[in-house]
Amino acid sequence: MSSNARRVRLCAVVFVVLLGALFFGSLCFGTTVRFSTGEAWRGLIALLGLGEPLETASRQTILELRVWRALVTIGVGAALALSGGYIQGLFQNGLASPSLIGVTGGAALGAAVAVLIVGGYAPRLVLESLGGNAYLIPLFGFAGAFGTTALVVYLSSGGGRTSVTSLLLTGIAVNMCVAGLFAAIQSLTLENWEVSRAILAWTFGTLDDRSGYHAGVVFSGLALAAACIPFTAVELDLLKGGEADAQSVGVDVKRLKWLAIFAAAVSAAAAVAVAGQIAFVGLVVPHLVRLAIGASHRVLLWLSMLGGAVFLLGAEFAQRWLLGDAALQPGVVMALIGGPFFLVLLVRERKEISAW
Amino acid sequence: MVNRLVAEHVAFEYSNGVAALAGASLELARGELVAVIGPNGSGKSTFLRCLAGLLVPKSGTVVVDGEEVVALPPRERACRLAVVPQFLPRLPDVRVQDFVLGGRYAHLGRWRSAKPHDRAVVRAALSSCDAGDVESRLMSELSGGQRQRVLVARAIAQEAGVLLVDEPTNSLDPEHQLAVFRSIAELVAGGRSALVVTHDLNLASQFASRAIVMQAGRTITEGPVDRVLTREVLEPVYGPHLFFGRFANGRPIVVPWADAR
Repeated sequence: MSSNARRVRLCAVVFVVLLGALFFGSLCFGTTVRFSTGEAWRGLIALLGLGEPLETASRQTILELRVWRALVTIGVGAALALSGGYIQGLFQNGLASPSLIGVTGGAALGAAVAVLIVGGYAPRLVLESLGGNAYLIPLFGFAGAFGTTALVVYLSSGGGRTSVTSLLLTGIAVNMCVAGLFAAIQSLTLENWEVSRAILAWTFGTLDDRSGYHAGVVFSGLALAAACIPFTAVELDLLKGGEADAQSVGVDVKRLKWLAIFAAAVSAAAAVAVAGQIAFVGLVVPHLVRLAIGASHRVLLWLSMLGGAVFLLGAEFAQRWLLGDAALQPGVVMALIGGPFFLVLLVRERKEISAW
Repeated sequence: MVNRLVAEHVAFEYSNGVAALAGASLELARGELVAVIGPNGSGKSTFLRCLAGLLVPKSGTVVVDGEEVVALPPRERACRLAVVPQFLPRLPDVRVQDFVLGGRYAHLGRWRSAKPHDRAVVRAALSSCDAGDVESRLMSELSGGQRQRVLVARAIAQEAGVLLVDEPTNSLDPEHQLAVFRSIAELVAGGRSALVVTHDLNLASQFASRAIVMQAGRTITEGPVDRVLTREVLEPVYGPHLFFGRFANGRPIVVPWADAR
């Protein structure tokens, strides 16, 4: 076995072990109750319907909330990192992230519209016909993310082909428009404290009070995106010599672009729909995984998924453990870690960047 | 002799409206090595890209083994036509063996996993180009000559009937120029066909059976090299500063000559 294959295997094992440990740790530790490992295990078994629930119903409820929280965190981290892996592969740029194609901005706009509807800005009829509001924000977030990405791709593919440069520039322009609309909504609701608080809170990201519904949304998106890996990984590797070169060895470049953008959009959209804006996972994780194991997308995409889950769950676990009740929203933590990290990357790769 | 590749009246215009091809035609038979020559900007590389299906002609047809190139699915097309590019716009950060394995892409199955047979084809292709010793090096570590041989090796691993080669000897020393042309000639001797776009009239003279001359986006003359590499044909195309001679085997020599007339 080559040294690289050994490194990949080691990396996968470390991620799986860490993920298991962090998952269990997240069940035991929290801002309120502390469970023993035995208790957490019994509660987990009970949740699967294979055993008696914990002695007091409230303890069982708390444990179940933590299970959903941990699962959603895993799903969101994995989905964001996978999306970043696709985007970096497609743009052939280790500093690209899902927000480039409008996923994040679109999700924010969708969620803000949903908050407006729930907050009473829409005719009652609209709210009633949409049936309740618990599902509204994820639904609109997803629609906004997917819609914006579709718009970016559509607008940038004039003349029958989508060049990566025009995709990038269109993404910037559409992101600006979306940010304008988002700011308009915020400004409109400035006096309505509850609504503006809800919109603002969403932009910080949240993993609290998540349910099976949220886990369902994020893991469905993740599964769809992961299902595209076997049909895009080798092709993304071949893209490294340029588009024409990939085409000459038989890669259907047009199909590859659509598939990769679809996979990136669906997984990031699912993540931001359930958890709000959590930046930098999609940038940092695939970048670090590439540094650790090399650049073949066959392993890079799978390990980015695992790595993203470990990264977000680990960051959440660590700050809950260290800060307790003072723990920050996940989006804020990621921005605090991610900003400086991005700067370090820029400085490290200055030589390469100056060649652009 | 059955023609493998037939192009008729191919025209192409870039999106800025510049007409790069205005009627280029050719026929390439099985077991033939044909050189495409002509001055800078005469449309040689554009023609090659149209032949390879990388550009879609505005009008005209390109047919390979009886089927139109633009109608072929990409993998099917890659099984029939392999391209050796002049250079890669970006050097992939992969090992030579993995890069050459990229040539097997069109032959891989549904799950895109390389079989031992694919790896054997890669090794054979590398050693036939005298590049077996660099198979575990990174592409970025190679010298210009090694890189060119690896590009040829990948096209060989692609096992396509027709090789389309763009300026294979630019920036190579004489020994490496010969090595690259020899490996292409060997493939042609084995039954494949090769079209080589080149500025090197003397290598074309030694290795090609026919030459096609392009000027201003058109193919203007074609024929056996000793009838094309003559003052009558080349002077109107390249201008008067040429010296004509003969190799010992009788093949024509054409070199730039500052003191002509």
